[in-house]
Amino acid sequence: MNFEELFWVLQAMVALGLLVSAIAAIRFKNLISAVIAMAVFSLILSLEFYILQAPDVAIAEAGVGAGLTTAMYLLAIKNTTDEEVVE
Amino acid sequence: MTVDGAFMWALILLLFSAMLTLIRLLAGPTIPDRAVALDSMTTTTAGAMVIYGVVTRQAVFIDVALVYAVLSYIATLYIARYLVKKRIGIAERPEGETS
Repeated sequence: MNFEELFWVLQAMVALGLLVSAIAAIRFKNLISAVIAMAVFSLILSLEFYILQAPDVAIAEAGVGAGLTTAMYLLAIKNTTDEEVVE
Repeated sequence: MTVDGAFMWALILLLFSAMLTLIRLLAGPTIPDRAVALDSMTTTTAGAMVIYGVVTRQAVFIDVALVYAVLSYIATLYIARYLVKKRIGIAERPEGETS
């Protein structure tokens, strides 16, 4: 296996993971589950930046996705409700 | 098989096991299942990032894995604090049973 083949295999796996986790983040009715799925989406997106040779962007995405948005969404959900309400 | 080939296969297998934890995240009936799946997936992917840095021989790529390992710990900590506060995933004890 040379590097070219490895690159395309990684791209295929990352694309599949992005699609699956994005659909999960939209479809989950429990909001904590949706936040966890969005953390996974951010992780795989950071891996994609990393594979495309942009480690600085990957570090920024890791900081924002894993640290900031997860904590802020959880703080917001803690003060309201964790089940999706349809009016 | 060269050493680089072995590292590439290890990388692909690590990402495949990350996909298996993604299945647990989709199927897991309770929220603690999903939180553990997220944590395990982050750890596996950090290992894959280190191996990718070895394959491409660039030391900058190791730093991303370090930063992600530290930050994912914070995310898991926040989810765990929420679960403890709402008492999700804690089994209710029957009446009269002590400790």
